[in-house]
Amino acid sequence: MGLRSFIHHLTAPAITSTVPAGRYRLAIVVNTSLKMKKGKIAAQVGHGAVKAALKCAGNNPACMDAWLSSGQAKICLKGVDDEQLLSLQQQAKDVEIQAVSIRDAGRTQIPAGSLTVVAIGPARDEDLEPITGALKLL
Amino acid sequence: MSSLDDSPSMVLITRRDLKLSRGKLAAQCAHAAVKCALRARSRKARLVERWSKSGARKIVLECEDVKQLLQLKEQAKEAGMIAMLIEDAGHTEIPAGTITVLGIGPAPKSSIDDLVKHLKLVN
Repeated sequence: MGLRSFIHHLTAPAITSTVPAGRYRLAIVVNTSLKMKKGKIAAQVGHGAVKAALKCAGNNPACMDAWLSSGQAKICLKGVDDEQLLSLQQQAKDVEIQAVSIRDAGRTQIPAGSLTVVAIGPARDEDLEPITGALKLL
Repeated sequence: MSSLDDSPSMVLITRRDLKLSRGKLAAQCAHAAVKCALRARSRKARLVERWSKSGARKIVLECEDVKQLLQLKEQAKEAGMIAMLIEDAGHTEIPAGTITVLGIGPAPKSSIDDLVKHLKLVN
């Protein structure tokens, strides 16, 4: 940190943003049409979770804190195909819930560029429900 | 995987003996990946950036049991790598407090390989 930014850091008002109380979770929807194996799924879900967490920590720290206090809850759900995953992502974005997608580099098992998972949230349970409520657990 | 690619890597080591379902295994691995990434971000920011930019490689491996998992954790720590255990809250499938996954890294691929080369991929 430079001197100027250090002084700024000391004197700038704290960023106070709040988010509604509740249980926060991250829903990770897996594209089952790709027929990935167990280890591959775990790695892709890991990609989705890390991408969502780092993005949320940068853009919405209050939401990140709320999620961490909920034990960084994650839930893995079964998605049908690309089309469904993209539509879920859009639905989330329409209501301003963060949604990130993962495309695979294609080094193993599946073609490069395949849409493997969409991670929706972290968001409150009741805000996720209308989007992901109909999906089955993986 | 090409041999010239020495970009940073993360491994998620699971326990074969727990026989977790694929959804449970995926969620536990995601816990470990996030925990490692957040820890690394505050301690090794540049490494995390290189890791993210090179595709945030994650490899899911399996070991025999919790004893082996704890051993690997010690070895990783001794080598100066980030190593985080995940303990399950026990809402589903297994008792609360069960250690499910060990995440190691992100760290240079060569140092991780030295540590885990004897482990199998999860299929």
